[in-house]
Amino acid sequence: MVKLRQIDDYRWEIPREGKMRTRGLVFCSKEMLPSIQEDQSLQQVANVATLPGIVGPSMAMPDIHWGYGFAIGGVAAFDLTDGIVSPGGVGYDINCGVRLLRTKLRRDQVECCIEDLVNTLFSNIPSGVGSRRQDFKLTGATFKKVLKDGARWAVKDGFGEASDLAHIEAGGRIDGADPDLVSEFAMNRGKDQLGTLGSGNHFVEVGYVDEIFDAPLAAQLGLFENQITAIVHTGSRGLGHQVCEDYIKVMLKASAKYGIELPDRQLCCAPISSPEGKNYLAAMAGAANFAFANRQMITHWVRQSFEHVYQMGPRDLGLDLVYDVAHNIAKIETHTVDGTPRKLCIHRKGATRAFPPGHPEVPEAYRATGQPVLIPGDMGRYSFVLVGTQKALEETFGSTCHGAGRKMSRHMAKKAAKGRFIVKELAEKGIIVRGAGRATIDEEISEAYKDVAGVVEVVHNAGIAKKVARLKPLGVIKG
Amino acid sequence: MNSKNAAAAPRPRHRPYRQIPHTADLAWRLWGESLPKLFENAGRALSATLTDLRSLRRAEVRQVSLTSSDQEALLVDWLNHLLYLFDTDGFLGRDFEIASLNGASLTAKVTGDIFDASRHPSKTGIKAATYHHLEIVPEDEGWRATVVLDL
Repeated sequence: MVKLRQIDDYRWEIPREGKMRTRGLVFCSKEMLPSIQEDQSLQQVANVATLPGIVGPSMAMPDIHWGYGFAIGGVAAFDLTDGIVSPGGVGYDINCGVRLLRTKLRRDQVECCIEDLVNTLFSNIPSGVGSRRQDFKLTGATFKKVLKDGARWAVKDGFGEASDLAHIEAGGRIDGADPDLVSEFAMNRGKDQLGTLGSGNHFVEVGYVDEIFDAPLAAQLGLFENQITAIVHTGSRGLGHQVCEDYIKVMLKASAKYGIELPDRQLCCAPISSPEGKNYLAAMAGAANFAFANRQMITHWVRQSFEHVYQMGPRDLGLDLVYDVAHNIAKIETHTVDGTPRKLCIHRKGATRAFPPGHPEVPEAYRATGQPVLIPGDMGRYSFVLVGTQKALEETFGSTCHGAGRKMSRHMAKKAAKGRFIVKELAEKGIIVRGAGRATIDEEISEAYKDVAGVVEVVHNAGIAKKVARLKPLGVIKG
Repeated sequence: MNSKNAAAAPRPRHRPYRQIPHTADLAWRLWGESLPKLFENAGRALSATLTDLRSLRRAEVRQVSLTSSDQEALLVDWLNHLLYLFDTDGFLGRDFEIASLNGASLTAKVTGDIFDASRHPSKTGIKAATYHHLEIVPEDEGWRATVVLDL
């Protein structure tokens, strides 16, 4: 078992040992430890610490769980000169992320028609295994624009408002995307998947603000009690999966070429400064932009669905974007290390950026509050809105948790759901759920997840994000 | 494989595929009396995870030809290629025939159906087969493989 040394109530260190180039740093409470130690996620944190050019510790957020290669909930920074970039440190679903929309509506104004709204969302947004759009396919020049410009392309094409862009991480467009480095295979997989939710844990959720922890911050984020909100959680679909897969093959060769010793094949990587590393980052940026455009288009259909069901115009609905964050991504960012600013490649795999007030990459609207951080929970409980902090910037390269984290395998969850009618159980709790298949809903039951409140409590108390509000679901569409 | 029969008859020594516990994602333990059979079973496991295998008609045929860096990578590439076929035109295999398997290359004929949500139940989506804990090892009279999938 991996050795752990307690630092304080919320920090645990994996001491540097063997081939590790740095220590591991795990954020969690004492109560969470036994479940984290059940699987191999801590070993994965230690494995990442062996990779060349790692700067600072190999970190894990409290929602850490066993991934493939890198643990999910992992954060690792690498030096641009002698460090590496690894597709496994981003994941297959490049720029999987979450966006939160607020409305001007109160809970009592929408309760009449939640079922109608959920059904409308379900018919407007293709979801589930193999979901694709019948109405349009991306081709040639347009496809390249999507990969280059992300949400900016979507807004230009009529999906949303220009003001949306200021409320998306990186403005909804990662610079340096090169569509020519995205394979034809990847383009084929993505051509009719733009504007689709996909399956698994992806969802669109309509909910309300159920509790406010920090009234001034909530007000600045435009949130008030009993306000109706909508969350979109999805990523880059088959296109992103294929980009990851394509470059894992490249990196398997590159690791050998550059003499990088791998404790697990899935950690394969290349120096950031190598052609392989640069090409991956440019292709990854394309996939990330595809994901930004995807969430932007889905947002457009969320708005249309509200307008249709409640017969209200956009101005009265006020469905504005609070923020959109990526939680599977590698970003080139400047961070101060031992007093010196350095450009680093930050891998966040199942972790969210959490920049503090005043940071230049935080949009104007949130300069005083810090960047909004959106932490979705499971479909039966609640989600949280937080903001980034100075402490996160200093300690975790401006990163925090991303969700609840599973505690049951999908197999166990299905067993637990056997003989029950989960949709009805949730309806009795006042949550309308529509899913493309029963299996996904059964696999995503609340009990299969850790209570996200515990995860959020740890990051809040450790100071690497600050709680603002809690949202409860009213209606969910699942893939 | 229906559970009633499994309870009545003695359980077969090796099931062609089964899920093994892995918190975040899904892992398969695959078995085949030969390597081609192992690969065929892997294909069936994939279709059976996405939908109900029995709901697929034998309506379409796809020829597959792949070359990888080694045999284990070939298994991952085979599964990911089947996912590619599914993502691009909805094709899901029902019958898998590995025509040749030499080292790190294979040719196969896959017979199956185009996924249609109105006829085929939507089960668990798969993003990719991964190299994590990937192995193919001889076992008893055949071969056993472990593959972890990202969902």
